[in-house]
Amino acid sequence: MYNWGQYVPGNSIIHRLDPRIKILSVIVLSVFILKVGVNAGLLLSVFMMAVIFMSRLTFQRVITSLRPFIIFFILLFLLHVLFTAGTPIVRFSFCGLSITHEGLYRGLYITWQFMFLVTGASILTMTTVPSDLISGIEGILKPLRPLGVPTHDIAIMLSLALRFVPTFLGEIDRIKKAQMARGANFKKGKMIKKIKNITSLALPIVLSSFRRAEETATAMEGRGYKRGPRTCLRNLRMSSADYIALVLMVAMMTGIQLMAL
Amino acid sequence: MAGKISTRGMSYAAMFGAMTALGAYIIIPFPLVPITLQTFVMYLAASLLGGHLGALSQIVYILLGIIGLPVFAGGKAGLGVLIGPTGGYLIGFIIGAYIIGKMMESRKHSGYVWIALSLILATVVIYTCGVVQLLVVAQLSLQKAITVGVLPFLIGDAIKIAAAILLITKIKSRIQIKKVSND
Repeated sequence: MYNWGQYVPGNSIIHRLDPRIKILSVIVLSVFILKVGVNAGLLLSVFMMAVIFMSRLTFQRVITSLRPFIIFFILLFLLHVLFTAGTPIVRFSFCGLSITHEGLYRGLYITWQFMFLVTGASILTMTTVPSDLISGIEGILKPLRPLGVPTHDIAIMLSLALRFVPTFLGEIDRIKKAQMARGANFKKGKMIKKIKNITSLALPIVLSSFRRAEETATAMEGRGYKRGPRTCLRNLRMSSADYIALVLMVAMMTGIQLMAL
Repeated sequence: MAGKISTRGMSYAAMFGAMTALGAYIIIPFPLVPITLQTFVMYLAASLLGGHLGALSQIVYILLGIIGLPVFAGGKAGLGVLIGPTGGYLIGFIIGAYIIGKMMESRKHSGYVWIALSLILATVVIYTCGVVQLLVVAQLSLQKAITVGVLPFLIGDAIKIAAAILLITKIKSRIQIKKVSND
């Protein structure tokens, strides 16, 4: 798997913030960056730099987390540069396309917005342990509970799924080898043959996964798992730093909104 | 969503959530655009588990991505993807799964045609959600959004739907999925 935004152990102030605050901040920032203009955008970027600094993550690490997106950045940029109408700077006679002033500006702006989004999300996951993220998500979903959204079940399913991922990876590898031992070739052959080979993988994989899930459910029932209110090993509690962060976020967003930057 | 899910149902939904995540990593090289198997797994999840659990499995998948597992197409993750230009497809997965599941539940025995119909309908819903978000977030025009966001994937989808129909009927004849919607 790609090494994207994986948790980086640390004890900075950002690491210690309540996961609910961090998740909400990322959501709010992502929404704002998409609707504000250049001035407020620069302000938000400076804020993001400050957060990176406070989290004691090296800039190099943050840049690395952008790497899987590079192709998308380039594509998005080119799309806007080439297809926005306006005053042309360079014209390509062979395909009738031209780079326009407006396109260049728009392309840079949108690409940078997108980079901001990715950076924000990766800082969140780099400074928060997955289990804290899960309880954070559960905490955030809590208000939906009266609407009948099974927030607790969702949190449990999330941790089950986290546990299943490596198990299934191993399982897929095992079944693939078993089919190869029976003469299946996944590398060579015609397209149709390749697709057929892959379906020969899918059936045993799905069946064995059902068995795994069944076993897990039985094991949970056997240990007396019951749905309903539960306690937690580590309860989320807001500290003064969390309240300061909350106030800071609210102040900044209202500021941007009021000044209409 | 009714709060009536058994432990077994939760386990199944979690399993398909994890499988969808892995589906993003199984890339079949194909001319023009490589095919990934997320939607393929989603088709299976929804038609085997039904509407509620099918949709839940996709919610689990998306949450896995949000908390930072690089499980979205191309090894991406995070909330940025959901809110970003291509996030609409992911939201479409949830709605699509619900539609497939409900359509399957509505008939005792669904034949090839009914399965195909529900999968195609869900695929249309996924693209609609995807294109709407492309329009809003990437600020593309409708024509551009369809050119980059729908057309390149259609052949791959046809293949995936065909394979999914075969697999669904095969699996349904092989295992009896225990009733998962009551405690």
